[in-house]
Amino acid sequence: MWLRALFRRSEVERDLDDEVRFHLERETEKYVRQGMTPAEAELRARRAFGGVERIKDDTRDARGIGWLEALAQDMRHTLRGSRKRPGFVLAVVLTLGLGLGANTAIFTIVDRLLFRPPAFLTDPGRVHRVYLVERHDGSDMTDGHMAYTRYRDLARWSSAFSTIAAFQDRELAVGRGEETRVMDVGVVSASYFDLFNAHAVAGRFFSSREDSVGAGAPVAVLSWTFWQTRYGGRPAIGDMLEIGELRCTIIGVAPPGFTGVDSDRPVAVFIPVNAFGVHAGFFQHPTDYYLKYNWQWIELLARRRPRVSLSAADADLTHAFRMSVEAERAVRAGTPTVDVSQPRAVVAPIQSGRGPKASNVSRVALWTSGVALIVLLVACANVANLFLLRSLERRREYALRVALGVSRARLLAHVVTEIAMLAAPAAMLAVGMAVAGDRILRVLFLPGALSTTITGDPRTLLFAGIVALVAVCLTAVAPSLEAGRVNLSGLIKDGARESARGGSRLRIALLFLQGALSVVLLVGAGLFVRSLYNVRTMRLGYDVEPVLYANLAWRGVTLSDTQRVALSHRLSDDARTIPGVSSVALALTVPFYNSWSEELYTVHRDSVAKPDRFTLQAASPEYFHTVGTRIIRGRSLTEADRAGSPPIMLVSEAMANTLWPGQDAIGQCVRVGADTAPCRTVVGITEGIKQSSISDDPGTQYYMPIGQYNPDQAALFVRMTGDASASAETVRRRLQRLMPGASYVTVTPMRDIIDPEVRSWQLGATMFVAFGVLALVLAAVGLYSVIAYGVAQRTRELGVRVALGAQVPDVLWLVLRDTIRFTILGLLLGSAIALAAGRWVEPLLFGERATDPLVFGAVTGILALTAAAASLLPARRAARVDPNIALRAD
Amino acid sequence: MNLPQGTLDLLILKALSLGPLHGWAISERIHDVSRATLEIPQGSLYPALHRLERRKFIAATWGASENNRRAKYYELTRAGRKQLGEEVDAWAKLAAAVGLVLDMT
Repeated sequence: MWLRALFRRSEVERDLDDEVRFHLERETEKYVRQGMTPAEAELRARRAFGGVERIKDDTRDARGIGWLEALAQDMRHTLRGSRKRPGFVLAVVLTLGLGLGANTAIFTIVDRLLFRPPAFLTDPGRVHRVYLVERHDGSDMTDGHMAYTRYRDLARWSSAFSTIAAFQDRELAVGRGEETRVMDVGVVSASYFDLFNAHAVAGRFFSSREDSVGAGAPVAVLSWTFWQTRYGGRPAIGDMLEIGELRCTIIGVAPPGFTGVDSDRPVAVFIPVNAFGVHAGFFQHPTDYYLKYNWQWIELLARRRPRVSLSAADADLTHAFRMSVEAERAVRAGTPTVDVSQPRAVVAPIQSGRGPKASNVSRVALWTSGVALIVLLVACANVANLFLLRSLERRREYALRVALGVSRARLLAHVVTEIAMLAAPAAMLAVGMAVAGDRILRVLFLPGALSTTITGDPRTLLFAGIVALVAVCLTAVAPSLEAGRVNLSGLIKDGARESARGGSRLRIALLFLQGALSVVLLVGAGLFVRSLYNVRTMRLGYDVEPVLYANLAWRGVTLSDTQRVALSHRLSDDARTIPGVSSVALALTVPFYNSWSEELYTVHRDSVAKPDRFTLQAASPEYFHTVGTRIIRGRSLTEADRAGSPPIMLVSEAMANTLWPGQDAIGQCVRVGADTAPCRTVVGITEGIKQSSISDDPGTQYYMPIGQYNPDQAALFVRMTGDASASAETVRRRLQRLMPGASYVTVTPMRDIIDPEVRSWQLGATMFVAFGVLALVLAAVGLYSVIAYGVAQRTRELGVRVALGAQVPDVLWLVLRDTIRFTILGLLLGSAIALAAGRWVEPLLFGERATDPLVFGAVTGILALTAAAASLLPARRAARVDPNIALRAD
Repeated sequence: MNLPQGTLDLLILKALSLGPLHGWAISERIHDVSRATLEIPQGSLYPALHRLERRKFIAATWGASENNRRAKYYELTRAGRKQLGEEVDAWAKLAAAVGLVLDMT
């Protein structure tokens, strides 16, 4: 049918061609007979006939045609028009392309964070993450982590779920010797695999027999990627693989893409949760992990049975949780009653970004997609404006066509077709941008995630298509209104000149909208940049760039405490000889990764309340120099402070002020661990450090000589003279050589420890700035085109004014009036929106109010400058209007 | 002289009432018969022809022209003939009415 219609159309077209040609030939012959030369005659005939294509169009309109023909005609019309105006086409495609591209690119991220279910998961809508809520000190605490014992209780006492699985992503050392790498290991129950419709590509997944409570078998299922990289795809079933403390037999390989449920942390190997629990060594007894409740490390996935509602699932699980808390009270003294802790369970979507414990990153990603949407709105407004300007030029044409009997609906369809045809290449450009931008975005939002191909991803392509359609509809509104308003009377005769004013209000309104939206984005950019600056320039209490942290993991060897101490000294001596190392220290803890605390007793207070307010560090004498923590008063640790020497400590300034307000802390006595412990004399005061949180850390730490406190638990800090991150692998290789048995060293740059803490601000700053600038550029282009068009339209009027004695400033005022209005109204409206939205952004900022006058001031300046720059050229042109030329133009 | 509003269709129908003609010949015929007073705006001729064709007042066939070239001939349909009669009547009434007003003394 389609083919025939199209074929028929071309026949009709050919007939029309023939008819018109025949007419022109006869007309030419007539003039030749009257004595003209053939060339003159043909010219005359053509002139008498008028624009051939126009008349053909009119004729087609008059025939009245089917929608398919109409579409084809509109497309032809658009193509013809496009060839004549490459600049216009380029502007529209680029503008829409940028707007769509920003959205497509950010969609790929938001999709992975919030919407895309894990691969192979069957019926993802009914698979939930489980969160437990308990009341502590009057406020509800939500946690997705729980004891394995709790998981067993919940599985036993709930009935609303067909499958309940335990899983936990743990970073464990995988491999042996030089090959050892810390990788993400999926510690999962056998039921975990039942949630997916996946089959091992080699071997098999583990069974519930291999995951029996208290007796998990040391077996491992490799991810496809790990199998490829480590084994090169060779048969590996039956091989042994060291995973953490376990020596596992490889029993299977998972299919490609089967990497667990967290998209940002693909799992390399899966092992049974019970195998890990028995050997993890967190408890004295291997049975404790399934009998006690105080190791909260498991996360839960549950598949809701058909016809069980969400609230019924919550209620059922809450009931099981309350029973579990009762069971806990029986084995753990001091557990609050259910009346006090009010335990309840919540089932949430499988995507953690949509659950109650969503990270800052997913929140920023959501904000960013809102921002991308604003960029798209600005782009649409811009394109709408371009089309408006054009439709003003074409009013005469539209009026003529209406006069010839073309329905208004046809006219609107034409406008929409035109926009859609330009949106198609824009959408392709957008997908291209998303592909290019994906790598950058992925590094920012999901550093661990595997790459996916966007071009082959139907979700992304579908999204790009839908957004393009929405953009077309949005863009078409204003020009359609304009086309619908075509007024027959007078228009045809008057021509375009006088009518240019008609749509100007609509255009100006769109322009203000763009200005306001740019202001909103720029304010956001300013707030996040300031936050990032605040975070970056804040003194953490230690240096980040030059410092490496080396963790020593003992495995497969039994060393006495003395042997460990001796070995850690050998390691630090060896590290000192590595080129580029400036100093090495031994210490117990590292900020953000772990912290220790002890009960403290001072002379004036029997026990210092809330012991965990003060975190302890034990360190070798080089520690303060190595990590860069400053000593404010008193002395540092020295070689003389060792086991057996008089016990001493240094305290942070904040701790000194808390314990001994108004007194000198130096010389005070603190007993650590028990009130019978020997008196530790404070010998120095240090600056406070950020220990476990960038934003609100009280900075109350104390330091003891490592010789006097757990020397066998020491880790290494290495300070480099150059870039520490680049040296991490060198240092690791050197230290690994000294490690006995299957023991291994992991070396982490401090930068890598701090970065995740500041990622959300980094992200916010990057995305808001990028999109803010994009929106501003689009708005500037819009402003430019509107003003330039205005000047071009009013050349005659300006000429008259100059001829009548108007001075250059008067002319400039006429032109710049819109610019000034754009700036002022854009600022007012944009600032109002930004202030209103500020309440929600403020929690995401750092050391920054959402009303920061500096930011608003800067944005005002930027907008004014941009507006001035955009109107500079047209204003110059206006100022140079020569009345002689302008008036002769018609 | 410009054609009064709405008369183009009438003139085309009338021109065709004497037999099939192609587009160019229609404009020539009107021009000649009106003793060169009426000039058919060529830009409107073909849209008008196609519009009349759509409304089934005229029908088109392809035939050989006087100098033996392919040309599109239009002829009046039965509906067209009826329409012509109505339009002629309407025009006569209008002309008479206008004449009466103009003869007013």
